[in-house]
Amino acid sequence: METVLRVDGLYKSYPGFSLENVTFSLNSGRIMGLIGKNGAGKSTTLKSILNMVHPQRGSVTMFEKNFHQNEKECKQRIGVVFGGIDFYPLKKLSTMTAVTRTFYKNWDQEQYQLYIKRFSLDENKKFKELSSGMKVKYLLTLALSHHAELLILDEPTSGLDPVSRDELLHIFRYVVKNEGCSILFSTHITSDLDRCADDITYIQNGKVLQSAEKETFLRSFEHLKTPQDTAPLTLEEIMLRTERSVWDETAV
Amino acid sequence: MKLLYKELTLAAHPTSIVFAFLGCLVIVPAYPYTVIFMFGCLDPYLTFINARETNDAWYTAILPVTKREIVKGKCLLIIIFQLFQLLFSIPFVFLRNVLDVKNNPVGIDATVAWYGFGLILYAVFDLVFFPAFYKSGYKAGKSFILAAIPMLILMIGVEGSVHIPVLFWLDSYKPEHLLLQLPILLFGILCYAVFLTLAYRMSVKRFEKVDL
Repeated sequence: METVLRVDGLYKSYPGFSLENVTFSLNSGRIMGLIGKNGAGKSTTLKSILNMVHPQRGSVTMFEKNFHQNEKECKQRIGVVFGGIDFYPLKKLSTMTAVTRTFYKNWDQEQYQLYIKRFSLDENKKFKELSSGMKVKYLLTLALSHHAELLILDEPTSGLDPVSRDELLHIFRYVVKNEGCSILFSTHITSDLDRCADDITYIQNGKVLQSAEKETFLRSFEHLKTPQDTAPLTLEEIMLRTERSVWDETAV
Repeated sequence: MKLLYKELTLAAHPTSIVFAFLGCLVIVPAYPYTVIFMFGCLDPYLTFINARETNDAWYTAILPVTKREIVKGKCLLIIIFQLFQLLFSIPFVFLRNVLDVKNNPVGIDATVAWYGFGLILYAVFDLVFFPAFYKSGYKAGKSFILAAIPMLILMIGVEGSVHIPVLFWLDSYKPEHLLLQLPILLFGILCYAVFLTLAYRMSVKRFEKVDL
């Protein structure tokens, strides 16, 4: 299976936080969930991959090419969605599309119209008038309209209601199956991954704790099971038991 | 071109576009014409504030462009605004002369020297503003204040110069005086080209290090 993304030894240091030796790879046609609690370094990892943050060490290989040396070429083949960010809130979707399409060699207007219709998006609406779920759908539409082979999604489901989240997860599955792309998405909502992910990378305090295919991932945390646990641990239990610290009331 | 199209359509603040048309103020009989340059300096400030508030840098960063091109787009936009403003004022200078409007009593007239001073003022402002902004990628207010200091000094200097009797030719439309002013315009053009190139290069270098 072809590797579409390989992240190798990313290191980025901030005062009070550092991303250390982040390494994982994503194969074609797979959905990888990047999990970790708030502040664990998920977004920093994604931004480092995209050269929005400058890692001090490490490399990113995308489509068998060094991303930082072939940034424009690689970006032509990917789609990026940041959840929870309002881009040009007062601009109409049609205006944003008119600009965005000029940047992509593979822009497919038919495909764009198809997704606009399928997602029931109104191009005459301003970006701020869309609900959180619709914003993600619009950004996904832009990504899919230039036939992105890899989607990098930062917290696309955060802040969405369960129905919208479920719908989005179905869409992810649909585009992987029908468009042949791969997805790397960060989330702290573990139930998203139960339903959608093929592979999981778990980041804790800036370090990759485990990165593997979902079944292997779940098995690798069996040591966290207690005698009372009869069923396999869920992702939520794994995360809770890994991250949980004893609340020291005397310290307060 | 697509960068400029993106900047004009998504990033530019509508007021910046209005300011670019304020070159027409040279038709006003009594007005400190260097204030027109101040509008041209407010253009980058407003545009950068607007870009920051609309998450323009993030959106641009996910498009197939590099950080160098992000800076290039903004520099091109501001150059277009400032040069357009000066060019747009030219027909109004002729109209002013056709209408035989009296010499501006407030300060300098829109002479050839005024255009030269304008280009120098823009060059100095941009050289301070762009690198100061791209050091952080978001501090538009601080960058404007820093760049506004030399801008104000130059404005006062230009307006004040014509009140010095020996420099009366700066304020004159007589052909022999316009000829005398020509070197100022040429120096302004040179200054604008060199300083903007320098500002662009410094900004790129700084912005490459900025974490979005």
